[in-house]
Amino acid sequence: MNAGHQTTRRLAAKAGTPICRSCRDTLSRSYASAAAAAVQTDGQAAQLIPPVAQASTQTSYGINTGVVLSRPPQITRDLHPFESAFFLYQRRLNERSALPFTRYFYYKDRTPADREWKRKIKQRLTPARDIGRYKGYGEEAWNDEVLIGAKESDFNWQVERLLEDAETTGLEDQPAEAVSSAVTPKKVEHEAVERPMSRITEADEKNDVKSLNRALQRTLYLLVKDKEGRWMFPQDRLQKETLKEAAYRILEYSAGVNMNTWVVGNVPIGHYQHNYTKALKTGAGLDEVGLKTFFMKVRIMAGQANLKENQFDLKDFKWLAKDEIQKEVEEDYWRQIKNMLAER
Amino acid sequence: MALRELPFRAASALCREVRPVVHAARPSLRRNASAGASHDVEHSSSLTVPPLSKDLVQNFDPIARSRQRRQGKKQLPASRYQYRSPKYYRGPLHPHQPPPPSDPASREFQPGPFSLPRLEQTYQSTIAADILTLTYQHYPPGYRPPKVENRLREWTGASPYFKNRPLRGPRGRGEELRLLHEPRTFRNIPKISRVTVHSFVPEAQENSAHLHVAGMILQAVSNVRATAHKARHNVVGWGLREGKYVAVTSHMEREDAHHFMAKLVDVVLPRIKEWKGVPGSSGDGAGNMSFGLTPQQVALFPEIEVNYDAYPPKMIPGMHITIHTDATNNKDARLLLQAIGLPFYGKLND
Repeated sequence: MNAGHQTTRRLAAKAGTPICRSCRDTLSRSYASAAAAAVQTDGQAAQLIPPVAQASTQTSYGINTGVVLSRPPQITRDLHPFESAFFLYQRRLNERSALPFTRYFYYKDRTPADREWKRKIKQRLTPARDIGRYKGYGEEAWNDEVLIGAKESDFNWQVERLLEDAETTGLEDQPAEAVSSAVTPKKVEHEAVERPMSRITEADEKNDVKSLNRALQRTLYLLVKDKEGRWMFPQDRLQKETLKEAAYRILEYSAGVNMNTWVVGNVPIGHYQHNYTKALKTGAGLDEVGLKTFFMKVRIMAGQANLKENQFDLKDFKWLAKDEIQKEVEEDYWRQIKNMLAER
Repeated sequence: MALRELPFRAASALCREVRPVVHAARPSLRRNASAGASHDVEHSSSLTVPPLSKDLVQNFDPIARSRQRRQGKKQLPASRYQYRSPKYYRGPLHPHQPPPPSDPASREFQPGPFSLPRLEQTYQSTIAADILTLTYQHYPPGYRPPKVENRLREWTGASPYFKNRPLRGPRGRGEELRLLHEPRTFRNIPKISRVTVHSFVPEAQENSAHLHVAGMILQAVSNVRATAHKARHNVVGWGLREGKYVAVTSHMEREDAHHFMAKLVDVVLPRIKEWKGVPGSSGDGAGNMSFGLTPQQVALFPEIEVNYDAYPPKMIPGMHITIHTDATNNKDARLLLQAIGLPFYGKLND
């Protein structure tokens, strides 16, 4: 501690609150380290500084445990138009620079599969099946980019081309007599290919917020309505237990046992602080000035929430994505929880 | 003028006393980075909203335009208007510089990426956040990490040559400095950085066909050109002769690595009968995990199954797969791979 520090601090104190918090912290820290250095002259490790106990023990906060039960995304996200355009551009460029397809390595010569490949490549004129016609050689090789609004840039068109290639034999477009006259005693039989499932489910169309089959591209979070009608994550007072045990207990008591869940880690991922307008008196003679809720992250593997036998008087539940949660919860609650929720 | 005579601290104190008033008079100009940025970013893409009129877009025909332009005129020779990147790099002062490798006109250009792998999306949306929660280490406020003492040794002695000499390495022959373990933050969550597939075929010394088959299999499986390696020493016990080609490897990164891992975890490994998992003793202590597949297991890759007959019988090799991660210890690397879906068995090597 030197005279310069003292002067600074005195002047700072005189001016009310003129210095910012980080500066004040720096000042006090340099004091602390100076004091520690003065005491520990015998070269002890001055590294660990125990947290200072709270000076006034009259106030306290109630401790709650909250459960952020989430269902992770089930399918890949829709690509941004720029991304899909970029990927198509790169795939077509690859067609320009890739080595020619080694037909003899994949099809034995003069087999039905080989004949089919030849027929198809004659129709398609490009080895790749889902990028449309690509011409890398000749007079007009420079004209190799798809135009705006071309059908090749449509994702569904690309999927259809792949399916068509798997289902057809290349003989469909030819006239019937040509097919019969052609010497093809052995044909490759193709079974009907299963179509990919729709990325929009029935629950999406009905906007069934109780269903876990909704919004497959997003993370869904379980939100419950308490007896005051507020939407929030399931929560309860922490008893003599760890946060993890409390998370399991709260899940069982609020959403039932019909869920297969996993608590991720032993530490909370965020907290919500609520200050009372008037302090409460606790049993230990302390003033409880507010409530702090620590949220544990839980993943649902199987099952569904069921509020039938819940012990917290919960009225309703919803599975919501992040942006939908904002519309339901209170402004203050949202401000404190938004950073622990996944964007997608 | 008077201010200039005063000592610095007094002057700054005076200024500080004035400052709150200035703050009060000034309108609140504070804006959050998130709120401000959202105004600057355009909400709609220029791709979804075509800037040109519909007629123009519909009737645009590049071929017809070019024909019209060339009408009645003689074409320039191709060398006059087609750009070619220089064949050799002649130094930074040469006037003819090659374009960057990302330019399609460059000779080093490699197209890609072609897709956004599902595994990468899962990592970004789910796995990374879970690993961060699982490996979180709490430090109370006011905690300062213990100072890292100098990990290299000083040169002690009277020799004048010790001055400015680089510090000595750790004691012992062949000792290296171990990796530093940074505290876990959202910036250093372990991720898959590279996957190496390696196949050792000593039979290739007698019959090079083995090496070609191994190379084809690695290329088919990994989508990356395989490189062959020579034996560096004579090893009588293994029948190795120096200078003979005995192995092939291929390194996968980014998109290829993610596609390979997804293929492995979702298609190949579930079909192996009575596969116990990756041995828990795997791991080199620096975040790299490896395990092996037998020839029968390699044949389960979909790329090999599709034309299994093209490979000569009994020439399909086994392979070693090494997964390189950003983790700095075995435990974190194993956590990442378990999250991706690789099971481990036996005694764990921590």
